[in-house]
Amino acid sequence: MKFLNSKQKRAILKGLEEVYGITELNYLLVEFGKKRLRAFSGNLTREEIQQLSQLTNIEVIGMYLISRKDNDLRLNFDAVSLLRNQITKSITEINKEQLALWIRGHDLDIATERGIVVLKFQDELVGIGKSNTEKIFNYVPKERKIKTPVPS
Amino acid sequence: MTIMTKYKYTMKPLFEERMHALMPDKTDFKAYEKTIHTPPLDFIRCNTLKISPEKLLEKLKTKGWQVSQLYPKHPEIMLITSNIGPGELGNALEHQLGYYYIQEVSSMLPVIALDPKPDDLVLDLCASPGSKTTQMAACMENKGTIIANDLKIDRISILVSNLERCGVTNCIVTRKDAIAFCTHYSKSSLPKLDKILLDVPCSGEGTLRSSPKTFLQWNPKMIKKLSRQQKKFFAFAVKCLKQGGTLVYSTCTHSPEENEEVVSFALENFPIKAETVHIPLKSRPGLTEWKNDKFHKEVSKACRIYPQDNDSEGFFVSKFTLLGEIK
Repeated sequence: MKFLNSKQKRAILKGLEEVYGITELNYLLVEFGKKRLRAFSGNLTREEIQQLSQLTNIEVIGMYLISRKDNDLRLNFDAVSLLRNQITKSITEINKEQLALWIRGHDLDIATERGIVVLKFQDELVGIGKSNTEKIFNYVPKERKIKTPVPS
Repeated sequence: MTIMTKYKYTMKPLFEERMHALMPDKTDFKAYEKTIHTPPLDFIRCNTLKISPEKLLEKLKTKGWQVSQLYPKHPEIMLITSNIGPGELGNALEHQLGYYYIQEVSSMLPVIALDPKPDDLVLDLCASPGSKTTQMAACMENKGTIIANDLKIDRISILVSNLERCGVTNCIVTRKDAIAFCTHYSKSSLPKLDKILLDVPCSGEGTLRSSPKTFLQWNPKMIKKLSRQQKKFFAFAVKCLKQGGTLVYSTCTHSPEENEEVVSFALENFPIKAETVHIPLKSRPGLTEWKNDKFHKEVSKACRIYPQDNDSEGFFVSKFTLLGEIK
């Protein structure tokens, strides 16, 4: 568990602005493991959290926000929902049939720019994927995929 | 297996005898018996961290679901009255996006009684699977801090998954035995807690509608064992509370050993005051005697929720204020 300082947070925010258009992160950012950043909005200070961690096992703090992989800042599925009012870039709209496939974990045959893609259905942001220009690869977490068959 | 066979079971004789003692009126007992043999209603709680009840209502109605809001002061509590298929509530997009939590109405009562506010420092000592933790985060608007503790890693995984889905950002999840957690916390220089939710492991007599197997697992020895453990949880948890702070003790069982006996023990041993519990469901007062035991008279401020009174599950909720800090 490592708290990001303001310089590190600025660097993250700059990356998020470039890819997603996100300009504000009113959270304490905590690095959990090598690649995962979590967002904490609580009012315990860093010192108090450190002290708590000496008393007990802290499993997680706040919410899983971003993973850093292959130079990408990939927003977590739920972070897309949390920051949906700020996301203005990298959005690709999908239709009802594509949503039905997407939420069940299927990749989508949609041609779009290479890189991170935020999927939008009507007024909802429904997750994040990565495009190789011909296909959007599905990043819906296993436990969040809908288990019923695709409606015919 | 049909729905009818799923809910067909017989009460163990001692269980039936105890329930008769709790509900001496024959008509009342019959109503209880009838209710626990029917499936529970489909309640959901709108997750106001992500969406307003008005917007969720609109979305659900667009899907063709019929939704009732039975409690005017709590528009977040919604009852799905249309016939929906098995798994449909959990597989809906709105659920996957964290717009609602599937939660039986009686299980929402402890948090309503605790009434956590933004900026409170709150402990949820036995937090998994997270229905009440996420409910508290919504009340607190993701401000303040919730420390959500549980013991087992598999239960914590479920808790974390639910916190993520609901967009909870003000929570720290810890893994420790409840008594060890409280022992260490109370001796530390960390700030004492404004509020504690003590929704303890119990025999689950109130959950027969959703979990009929509880019936088969029920035995009186387990109740005695749980009662001893619950008293310990209370005794150690209350030491972490600040003077003037609030503790809610709740169970999803009817057994007086796990409810009034624990509360009476607490009132007799700690500088606490029982508070009147304000909840939106019909409830009955805590018992002041059971079999040969007489309890502290303030126990009557606790609330017993019986399935037949509200067409719900059964629950027990009690609320306390700490009058003087415990060293």
